[in-house]
Amino acid sequence: MLAAGATLGLAACGSSGKEGGTLKGNYASFPDYLDPQLSYTAEGWTAMYNTYIPLLTYAHANGDAGGEVIPGLAESLPRISDDGKTYELTLHKGLKYSDGTPVKASDFESTVERLFKLNSPGTFYYAGIVGAEQFQKTKSGDISGIETDDASGEITIHLTEPSGTFTNELALPFVALVPADTPAKSQSADPPPATGPYAIVSSDPGRGWSYARNPQWAKSNSELMPDLPSGHIDKIEITVVKNQSTQVNDIEQGKSNWMFSPPPTDRYAEVKSKYEGTQFRIEPTLNTYYFWMNTKKAPFDDLKVRQAINYAVDPAALERIYAGQIDGAQQILPPGMPGYEKFTPYPHDMAKAKQMIAEADPSDRDITVWTESLNPHDDAGAYYQDLLEKLGFNAKLKTVGADNYFTVIGNLSTPDIDTGWGNWFVDYPNPATFFGPTMTGASIAPTGNTNLSQLSVPSLDRRVDELAKQQLGTKQADEYATLDKDYMQQAPWAPFGVRTLSTFVSSNIDLDKVIWSPIFSNDLTSFQFK
Amino acid sequence: MTGRSPWGIAYRRLRSNRVALAALGLFVAIVIFVLAAPLWANEVAHTGPNATHTVEKIGVDGERRDVVSPDGTPIGPVWLGAGGKFFLGADGRLGRDEMVRLMYGGRTSLFIGVSAALLTTLLAVVFGLLAGYYRGWPDAVISRVMDIIWAFPVILLGIALGTALAVGGLQIGPISISSGSIWIPILIIGFVYTPYMARPIRGEVLALREKEFVEAAISQGAGPLRVMFGELLPNLWSTIIVFFTLNIANNMLLESALSFLGAGVQPPASSWGTMVSSGYGLIYSAPLLTIIPGLMILLTVLALNVFGDGLRDALDPKSKVRLEAHAGTFEPEEELI
Amino acid sequence: MARFAARRLLGMVLVLFAISVIVFLIFNVIPNSDPAQRMAGKNATPQLVAGITEEWGFDEPLPVQYLTTMKLIFTGQLISYSSQLNVDEQIWKGMPATFSLCIGAAVIWMFFGILFGYLSAVRAGKLTDRALTILALVGISMPVFWLASILLYYLTFKASLFPSGGYVPLTENPLDWAYHLILPWITLAVLFVGFYSRVLRSNMLDVMDEDYVRTARAKGLDERQVRVRHVLRNSLIPIITLFGLDFGAVVGGGAIITESIFNLGGVGQYAADAIANLDLPPIMAVTMFGAFFIVLFNALVDIAYAYLDPRIRLGESSQ
Repeated sequence: MLAAGATLGLAACGSSGKEGGTLKGNYASFPDYLDPQLSYTAEGWTAMYNTYIPLLTYAHANGDAGGEVIPGLAESLPRISDDGKTYELTLHKGLKYSDGTPVKASDFESTVERLFKLNSPGTFYYAGIVGAEQFQKTKSGDISGIETDDASGEITIHLTEPSGTFTNELALPFVALVPADTPAKSQSADPPPATGPYAIVSSDPGRGWSYARNPQWAKSNSELMPDLPSGHIDKIEITVVKNQSTQVNDIEQGKSNWMFSPPPTDRYAEVKSKYEGTQFRIEPTLNTYYFWMNTKKAPFDDLKVRQAINYAVDPAALERIYAGQIDGAQQILPPGMPGYEKFTPYPHDMAKAKQMIAEADPSDRDITVWTESLNPHDDAGAYYQDLLEKLGFNAKLKTVGADNYFTVIGNLSTPDIDTGWGNWFVDYPNPATFFGPTMTGASIAPTGNTNLSQLSVPSLDRRVDELAKQQLGTKQADEYATLDKDYMQQAPWAPFGVRTLSTFVSSNIDLDKVIWSPIFSNDLTSFQFK
Repeated sequence: MTGRSPWGIAYRRLRSNRVALAALGLFVAIVIFVLAAPLWANEVAHTGPNATHTVEKIGVDGERRDVVSPDGTPIGPVWLGAGGKFFLGADGRLGRDEMVRLMYGGRTSLFIGVSAALLTTLLAVVFGLLAGYYRGWPDAVISRVMDIIWAFPVILLGIALGTALAVGGLQIGPISISSGSIWIPILIIGFVYTPYMARPIRGEVLALREKEFVEAAISQGAGPLRVMFGELLPNLWSTIIVFFTLNIANNMLLESALSFLGAGVQPPASSWGTMVSSGYGLIYSAPLLTIIPGLMILLTVLALNVFGDGLRDALDPKSKVRLEAHAGTFEPEEELI
Repeated sequence: MARFAARRLLGMVLVLFAISVIVFLIFNVIPNSDPAQRMAGKNATPQLVAGITEEWGFDEPLPVQYLTTMKLIFTGQLISYSSQLNVDEQIWKGMPATFSLCIGAAVIWMFFGILFGYLSAVRAGKLTDRALTILALVGISMPVFWLASILLYYLTFKASLFPSGGYVPLTENPLDWAYHLILPWITLAVLFVGFYSRVLRSNMLDVMDEDYVRTARAKGLDERQVRVRHVLRNSLIPIITLFGLDFGAVVGGGAIITESIFNLGGVGQYAADAIANLDLPPIMAVTMFGAFFIVLFNALVDIAYAYLDPRIRLGESSQ
């Protein structure tokens, strides 16, 4: 009997890998929160992807397939009314939280209410629910636009306006269900019970946390949600190790199996050449890195100056500055985004840039260049400042701490916001989340401004607004591709690249099986020991 | 300076201290090195301290080489292989000339060290004189303020001020210092080290105040200013000179620590501290970028410390100004007034 | 004596109050850096910013905000902006690492400082003295972060002799605890070893000239006994004074760079992270914590000194 078991085990090993074991991983910092309603970082989302499941979720797959919304705790995708304002979903019957309490349809409403009570940065996505704004102000009563029936499991959501992205947003961790009695304050130190395959069983904020299998997963939840993988590993222990070089050493020595961050820029080339294909893989992400130019102020109110800057910025130089961790690009949409069509509107040409500046002959040549203090962004800023000097401007560099940077440059009363470094990450692959907040006149705000160029072209704005109300299809994707080109004609940004991240695992982990989701990065259920 | 005056005696004593003289020589050499920065930049390296050369190639001994390789590794020292360009290699992925930056960075570091020491000395002398001369409530107020600065965790205060001022600069009445200006670290450093110097000076003034020549001056109708600056100050010079020298050394260390933590000199300007900081990010691929600027700090501070020691021995053979005073002499009577 | 201690205590409270007000003001005058806006994230809506402002009381007048913050610190209810975790709890959690680092380093610097100082003084002018003097001055002149970076790179990453940072609790594994702390201890101690050996050397040279030492020698005590019993013992008093001040300063924030580079997760590192995030509540609490230790050790030194030296007590009663 014993011998047979061993043979079976070996056979399994050869074909599909080993089940069980403890995965040790390192993070460079503790996530902002281990609380699904509050967390708004890649660190937090990776950590909670397989713990807190929303009504809908994203497919566990690499690349474009991973951007697909699939049913989570709900039986199927929502039934959307013809006017696009009503969403109907039904909760699976028999779901349980990891502590054994049944999951109820009304938990969805209490979860959304908790989101608003916590003043979470995620409220942005759900403010379109009828009654949500009122609830945000008063924090009392209930959100009238959400109706739930615990007996039948039915959930109905009414929106004030049709939205082309609400399905995507229902699949974000912000609305992953937690029990109704979860206190409306951060639960990072004592995370709520899980609905997914892994429950967080201990958390020591600042130092680390660990997972074990959710006992209810095998009993009930897994059967009800067959599209969600159960995971191969039994236990996961995450430790915060600030020094990323140490993390690389730990993986090389087998002391840890995985690191969340990419290897530090200093060791990136070394790790890549030694381990690419066996333990290391470069992964795409949905973002664009760029230099923004304030179109409301001289000299960047002149289209010719902005286009000249686009010709002057050399993505190849920035690829080196980012130690190969960006892929040079000169457009707004990144690869992997529906509507992405590669084009190079301003191939690097310094002579042409100088000539255009000479033609434009801007009278105001005193410029302040803003950048974030984190390396290599500070270097990117220094490069840009030096480039502007070479073009004949008198450029001054201002460096602001990472945590404060976007708050300072997003405040229109900050003096001298002329131009600077920026990046835009999106939460899910829908181009509406790119153009709406960064390009339209409506998005210019006195504080918390995300349209850093303060661009406002009414004819383009109307097209963005129209598209944002529609469900994304091939026709819409094509229109977004055209928008990308039309906006780059206006040259509000000088985009220079798309950030790549990476998977780096120890030699005993099966790299081929590790999934990189475009939204949640590494999928912990896909890790498996060889 | 006549041979018989106390200064003359001190001078002769210092002249016979060969270690101190060697330290002075080293310090002067370092000063000349950093003063030569524009000369080296314009005549030898043909580039400025902030000019980037990310995608350029240079000829080293007839071979074309990337200043920064495509994977982001900067070129190492080429010595004179490129006619003086990139003598110490590139400073990082921006491909700036490390040697040029080292020379200009040294200017910044030394300038901050000396300016902050001047500020500290000015504040310490004024406060020390006022407190020691008037005693009573002016002394109580000044001592209390010094206590507060003293009890502030220095590095915490430095980073806090540095971070806070990095956004909006500083606005005190008509004086406005823009963010990123090196006057911000100068003010911070000069300010936080004031009690370290003001306390011993005050102590000395308290002792001098009891001396006959002071009483005599007062009885002859000399005003407070006259007594403080005409009678007391000349007797403080030896203390001040020793402290000033050692203070420059301490200032340079604090500046480098603040810059290392990102709260000192702001990019693209360099100081030896910021260079160690940015070099540390490349310690695997180019360890020299960490080692060289750190060594420069070490050598400069060491030269100042050794020379300061020699100065003290020369000026103050009975060692009135003790080493511990430079970290903060404990003076019990202060609490009791 | 009691009156002296009471006055000292009152002075401490005043200094702490002043420091807390200064820190609070420094971080409240940063322009265009509304904490509510920062907390609201990149998709901040005006409604959300208003909600956060109200929840955290950012619209209250500054004195009210200050008082609330101080009240929360002392009732242990203060939470941070960026993680909403209890600040006092985080400080408590960081204390074992900070104290392990500081106490260990203090033992090292006292031991070697006294040893080198003693050797230097008894061999004054000889080769040993010169070598130790140079070593001491190099130690004093070394940028701490640079030493830490170089040690970390060459001894741990290149030679793999030491673990590269991290803290293992003493209760978990005493050997591992020490192993992880060796490099941080050395880094932190180097400066003080140099400094203390210099101070002790000059003190001992002074004391050696004192009459009672000559008398002791004349009485026929052998040289070693004279040195240890009379010279060293009397020269140590100022060293102990210095130690009190320096230990307070190191616990109170002086170890921040060492903690950060070696990733010890102590109070200093917590402070550095909080400042980088402009997270005012922990900054306030940690500065208070640091200043408290500095002021406390200052006061302890004063009181001990007053106790040891009767002149001071007399001085007090006469004024």
